Amino acid sequence: MSASGAGSRGVWRIIARREFVERGRDRGFAISTAITLLILVGIIVITSAVGGRTTYDLAVVGEGSRAVGEDVVAAAALLDIGVELHEVPDEQSARQALSDGAADAALVDAERIVVQSQPPAELVGLIQAASIRERSLAALTESGLTEAEVDEALNQQQLPVESVETVNARSRENATVAFVGVLALYGQLFAYGYWVAAGVVEEKASRVIEVLLATVRPSQLLRGKIFGIGLLGLGQLLLIGIVGLVTSMAVGRLEFPSGALATVGLVLFWFVLGFFFYATLFAVAGSIVTRQEDLQTTMTPLTLLIVASFFVGISATSNPSSTLATVASLLPFSSPLVMPTRIALGEATPWEVVLSIAISIGSTALLIPIATKVYSRALLQTGRVRIRQVLRQRG
Amino acid sequence: MLELDGLTRRFGDVVALDDVSFSVPEGQLLGFVGPNGAGKTTAMRIALGVLRADAGQVRWRGRPVDLEIRRRFGYMPEERGLYPKMRVIDQLEYLARLHGLERSDARAQAARMAELLGVDDRSRDKTETLSLGNQQRVQLAAALVHRPEVLVLDEPFSGLDPVGVDVLSGVLREQAEGSVPVVFSSHQLDLVERLCESVVLIDRGRVVAAGRISELRARDPRRLVRIEVAGARDGWLDTVQGVQVLESLPEGAILELGAGVPEIRVLDAAQAAGEVRHFSVVQPSLAEIFREAVTREGR
Repeated sequence: MSASGAGSRGVWRIIARREFVERGRDRGFAISTAITLLILVGIIVITSAVGGRTTYDLAVVGEGSRAVGEDVVAAAALLDIGVELHEVPDEQSARQALSDGAADAALVDAERIVVQSQPPAELVGLIQAASIRERSLAALTESGLTEAEVDEALNQQQLPVESVETVNARSRENATVAFVGVLALYGQLFAYGYWVAAGVVEEKASRVIEVLLATVRPSQLLRGKIFGIGLLGLGQLLLIGIVGLVTSMAVGRLEFPSGALATVGLVLFWFVLGFFFYATLFAVAGSIVTRQEDLQTTMTPLTLLIVASFFVGISATSNPSSTLATVASLLPFSSPLVMPTRIALGEATPWEVVLSIAISIGSTALLIPIATKVYSRALLQTGRVRIRQVLRQRG
Repeated sequence: MLELDGLTRRFGDVVALDDVSFSVPEGQLLGFVGPNGAGKTTAMRIALGVLRADAGQVRWRGRPVDLEIRRRFGYMPEERGLYPKMRVIDQLEYLARLHGLERSDARAQAARMAELLGVDDRSRDKTETLSLGNQQRVQLAAALVHRPEVLVLDEPFSGLDPVGVDVLSGVLREQAEGSVPVVFSSHQLDLVERLCESVVLIDRGRVVAAGRISELRARDPRRLVRIEVAGARDGWLDTVQGVQVLESLPEGAILELGAGVPEIRVLDAAQAAGEVRHFSVVQPSLAEIFREAVTREGR
């Protein structure tokens, strides 16, 4: 009797499948995914309730207040701001409405504006302007002008506003999505890179590596591990992206879903580039130690590289065309955390994008044979292995 | 036939293996015996491709062993290794697939092996939750799960209780009867003696003796006597001329008779010393053969 089945060529797929299934089945994975999604949904819902506010409630009480209030509503409409008037019987109930939060401001007898504490600047400004208009109207009528003359005097054209730089609501929204994307990428590269390293150490520490190496090549083991864990990371990122987009649309935070979708796509693409680059290095970091406790030390340079790139990535969301951001978007270790933002904000030129992708793929391609060499030779050695020594020795 | 041919391996200045050659025909259960550091593990690792030889070759059915051939070997390393967090059954199925079995076949074989080695009631548990003895059974199941053509087991009996030893002995005999060459290393020479027809004795990286145990015995020219005497005073044996104590027993000894010394001389001396309980001419044990081979080499 002999073993049947496929040749050893496709064996890395079996290895990848194990990594994917075993880690996906882990309870810690399910919990951490759930927590990430909860935080994301929470942030989107909360910011939409607080930041995206464009309606006010104005309580009006006493003589003349209603007329001023109607002026406020008309003026606010021109600015895309909604104001709802609530007529109340007396000042007492107006104050009650303020403390209940049912009203943002109250206009009493067209003479006084009452607010709870901090005056809402936009609304108060609108009331002031309307009130001045009402009083001017009364004064002009009193001075004997005809109605037509009064109208002509008061209904002046608004001053035109000219922006030196065009305000692009779309790119501002993309920046927000990109910011969340950088945050997610940072977390993913960290977590899944660590998993690769810890997985390598697990096989060394448990000595299962010797059983494995009797039947598969180290390069197959490495490839299977990176693909399996990477696929899980990509899947989780995709889930985060979809949940984020759907939640944002549901609470009305997304005006340009297509742009946000494209940004999510960018983040996923750069995760793949960044993950392959970092996972290869993390595998080396894992292969040169024998115990999980020693892993922190060998991972430190990688950790610092990701953290530094993350900070550049964050600064790029507000300043995407700085020299730092431009350079960082080309280097293989930082481009995944910087380039998606620059593209989303329309700041990256096509050749920069192409160059960045080429550098990332090229450097990973250069890295893989060296990493495979170190990994293969360090796997059966115990204790702390020195990379330079491993590269020099024969197999 | 599995052939190890002229294997040599150095670690720095230490020669771990020095021109080691032996072969295992299909159906043979071969004991690989030697003290710690003799080179048993190194030789087995080289046979499985986990380690490279500086010189020499390993062949299976006349062909140099490469990865494709090696995938059909079964291996149990000295330092046991399994995924601690994986369930037993998943682990066996995974390893079977790495060795080239199709999924359904791998699954069926995993279940069969778990049953054969008596761990089927724990097959849904994580491996790390099993006792060391049971983990060892899983380790053996892992070496067998893909119906290997060749079995190489490094110290498979160490750490097993007597029941485990019996189970493992049975399984190894069965494998050999199924025409699989089985090589296993062991310190327990009495066990090797009971289980194997043939042995390879290795010391300091060199094969010092090899062949059928019966032939090695026949080749040994020494005459040995086992004697047990009750109520004798200490040191009575020193008075017997021309014999040498090979091994002291609680009430006697195993003696090597010098040239021309008749067995009756020992018996007479024993009867003079006390009450003779046992007297027999014995064959050298594997341990004796080994000791003799090592001293001969050392000369």
